[in-house]
Amino acid sequence: MELAGEPPQPFDPHDHDPATRTGFDRVLIAPSSPLGIEWLPEAEELLEAFHAGVLSLGAPFELWAGLVLADPSPERVDALLDRGAVGLSLPASALSGPAGIEGLGPALERLAARGRPLFVHPGPAAGSPAWFPALTAYVAEMSTAWHAWAEWGRPAHPRLTVVFAMLAGLAPLHAERLAARGGPSHVVHDPLTFFDTSSYGPRAIDAMLRVVGVDRLLYGTDRPVVEPVPLALGDAAEHALVVANPERVL
Amino acid sequence: MSKLERLVRELASSPEQWAHLVRHDADQRVYEELHRDDDVAIWLICWMDDHDTGYHDHDLSGGAVAVVAGTVAEDRLALGGPPVTRAFGAGEAFHFSAADIHRVRHTGHTPAVTIHAYSPPLWRMGAYEILEGGELRRHSLSYAEELRPMS
Repeated sequence: MELAGEPPQPFDPHDHDPATRTGFDRVLIAPSSPLGIEWLPEAEELLEAFHAGVLSLGAPFELWAGLVLADPSPERVDALLDRGAVGLSLPASALSGPAGIEGLGPALERLAARGRPLFVHPGPAAGSPAWFPALTAYVAEMSTAWHAWAEWGRPAHPRLTVVFAMLAGLAPLHAERLAARGGPSHVVHDPLTFFDTSSYGPRAIDAMLRVVGVDRLLYGTDRPVVEPVPLALGDAAEHALVVANPERVL
Repeated sequence: MSKLERLVRELASSPEQWAHLVRHDADQRVYEELHRDDDVAIWLICWMDDHDTGYHDHDLSGGAVAVVAGTVAEDRLALGGPPVTRAFGAGEAFHFSAADIHRVRHTGHTPAVTIHAYSPPLWRMGAYEILEGGELRRHSLSYAEELRPMS
């Protein structure tokens, strides 16, 4: 795979072979926000091809739909959900402040009214070596989106279920600082906000568990780019993250 | 009376906040989280058929329990003798510090309902295994093992 600003990424089709990734009841596939296609002039055609491809797979595969960010109308949300999408997947940079959240307001309102979740994932970030943007731009972007959600998103959309990828860059661990600085730290305990654990391990996940509780964490990985590590939090916590909590979100 | 005990007693007298969540399961205790903030987590627990927590501690958290239906017994682990046991019926409450080692079990013939507050919110716990020769082993657990069992 070759992307502007990044060195070529070797691609082994075997890593993506569903036959080697068994044991899942449901597989939800989202467009890769780091590619940035939602922002392109050709977003409509590219996303449509992606959505049609995923929807044609049938069970156990399902769709987290992307949205044309130049025209994020509630009608588009309706059309995607009517076709079977489980929810929307948006790049964190689209939700980084009041303007972005307000622009997406009607779409998010429609998503909430239909009881479907929003997945917030890092968008494009270039840099080398590959771990560098994953530890800097991604973390900053997710942290910004979570704090923006706390200040502007949640008050405008009190019933929307939201899942932040990569533990929202560990933003909720800053809750004491958020409170000290006069921010809306109570949002740490928002029961409709969930955190995916991708690329984090037992120490960071346990720290998040201490702050937000076990009910709000969803097991995630960055396979096949990054091999997952054992959770090592006990059978009950693992069951909550892998089975019980995802079922509540979906 | 501790602040936490006052809190669970107050909640016990407001059944409109939790009565709809009461549900009993013969296989295991049923847990519902009623509230969580930076300082306190409050749970409703439904017991029956001699459900038993086993000996445990709450690591960094103190707590309090109010009984709103049925009876539970609290055993405090003691060396060289039987545990110190107290039974609590509907309308009664008790509290414990982070340093206490206890078990709580259902007792009596009718199901029990209790309200528990932990401050700070429960994070990790110690579960105690008593070996045949009386040696104690402490197993460090996530609070999920106690409050979010597998099924």
